[in-house]
Amino acid sequence: MTPKNNILIGIIIALLVVASYNVDANPIDFVEGLPNLVVVLDEMVQVEPKYIPTAIWAMFETIQMAFIGTVVGIAIALPLSMLAARNLNSKFVYAPIRAFLAAIRTFPSILWALLFVIMVGSGAFAGVLAIIMYTIGFIAKLQYEVIETIDSDPMDAVGSIGVSKVQLITYVVIPESASHLLSQMLYMFDYNIRQTSILGLVGAGGIGFYIINYIKFFEYGKAAIFMIVVLVTVLIIDWISVKIRDKYIIKSQHGMEVKTK
Amino acid sequence: MNQIQMSQNSSFSLISTKKIIQMSDVWTSYDSKNFALEGINLSIDRGTNYSIVGPSGSGKSTLLKLMNGMMIPSKGIIKIDYVTPQMNNKKFKKMMHTIGYIPQSLGLVKNISVIENILLGSLPRLTKVQSLFKKFPENEITEAKRIIKLVGLSGKEERKVYMLSGGEKRRVAIARALMQKPTILLADEIVSELDNVTAREIMELITDAQKTMNLTAIMVHHDMQLALEYANRVAVIKEGKKILEIGVEGDNIVDFQTGDMTTQEIMEMYSDDA
Repeated sequence: MTPKNNILIGIIIALLVVASYNVDANPIDFVEGLPNLVVVLDEMVQVEPKYIPTAIWAMFETIQMAFIGTVVGIAIALPLSMLAARNLNSKFVYAPIRAFLAAIRTFPSILWALLFVIMVGSGAFAGVLAIIMYTIGFIAKLQYEVIETIDSDPMDAVGSIGVSKVQLITYVVIPESASHLLSQMLYMFDYNIRQTSILGLVGAGGIGFYIINYIKFFEYGKAAIFMIVVLVTVLIIDWISVKIRDKYIIKSQHGMEVKTK
Repeated sequence: MNQIQMSQNSSFSLISTKKIIQMSDVWTSYDSKNFALEGINLSIDRGTNYSIVGPSGSGKSTLLKLMNGMMIPSKGIIKIDYVTPQMNNKKFKKMMHTIGYIPQSLGLVKNISVIENILLGSLPRLTKVQSLFKKFPENEITEAKRIIKLVGLSGKEERKVYMLSGGEKRRVAIARALMQKPTILLADEIVSELDNVTAREIMELITDAQKTMNLTAIMVHHDMQLALEYANRVAVIKEGKKILEIGVEGDNIVDFQTGDMTTQEIMEMYSDDA
């Protein structure tokens, strides 16, 4: 280990101590607080099964919110990503679009939800709008980055036939970036379900609304049922998306032999 | 109108119905100091098989890119069928539809099928609505199937391109170019990575198409033997300059540029360079 590294590690440790002091992060408080967790867990274990249908219905609403948000968000994000790609547009087109997308991404979804609760009132619709905004910012960025890294040779070769830009996008850019897009869609849907689960914290609908209210009234047993439903749902969605990924994405990216009919 | 323009530029001497490609003192540079091509003069007869041979980095690929408007010269005049190849030249933009260009990397779209790749060659003939909804007219599909048969890919129409072998991929690239109903076919080192047998199969295929469709094939090669075997004329490029223009007549290699070199001298000269 060089002296330079030692100095760097020393600086990081010093910063950690100062920052911990500033935010009152005291390990002793953590240890002293552990018994409280036991109390909560003890109450959580006393689950009340009669709330399961409500929890499943709330989760269903959450999934629908995430679904609408993801689909509409991606539908808006795709044309924007085409406009934001540097290899398809002039600076005057992509620069403002990129600035707009960066501005959208600045806000986490919960802040968007707050904003939309103010705009359209509390409820699921505000949550859907928040998810749409977040999805636009996120997918458009991922997608324009994919477009910028696709092989330029097919674009040059097909471009030299003298096709229009719309044709180039439809017939070369989209097929070349499609496998990435499918993977991103799955990831986004997965992510949006988890996000939507907490949007209820600010009154934007979904299962989070129940969880936050039960916790507020110290009804940990009821909250636990809702949290377990979220957990199970996320695991199932994760499992499904892994299956889809294996079937369609891995093969097309690595050029593995696919059985033809 | 184009002819009037040319005569105003006093370059009408370039016009010839026999010549499809004419280059006069063409220079190109990637930066202001280094020239990729230096003072190239070239004239290619309509309906012939023309080869450009030279070592790596000699400027062969650049020469092809000048012919389809992907590059413009920093100096000199180029006419492709009387038209200056430039993207912003409307007349040339239309002409691009009938210039088939196969880059060294082939430029195929990997994730779509063989027939979908080939149909890309017909895109300029589609209406806006057809193109937007990916609705290729029946006659184009029939034509694509005919070409698939011609290049020997029958039964592989629906295969994804990434599943094909090197030789098959080249057939797809040729088929896409033929789908353009080309008058000129440009191919950049299309056989250089293939084994000898496959290379010859591909060369036969292009030569047949060139003869039956009466198109002008301009191919860049690394291998002088192969070029001489198939081409009517071979231009040898070295360090951005055209040093020879030769062709096979009977048992002899004829030097059309200086006219005073023997077959042996020419072959020795090339093997020194390569």
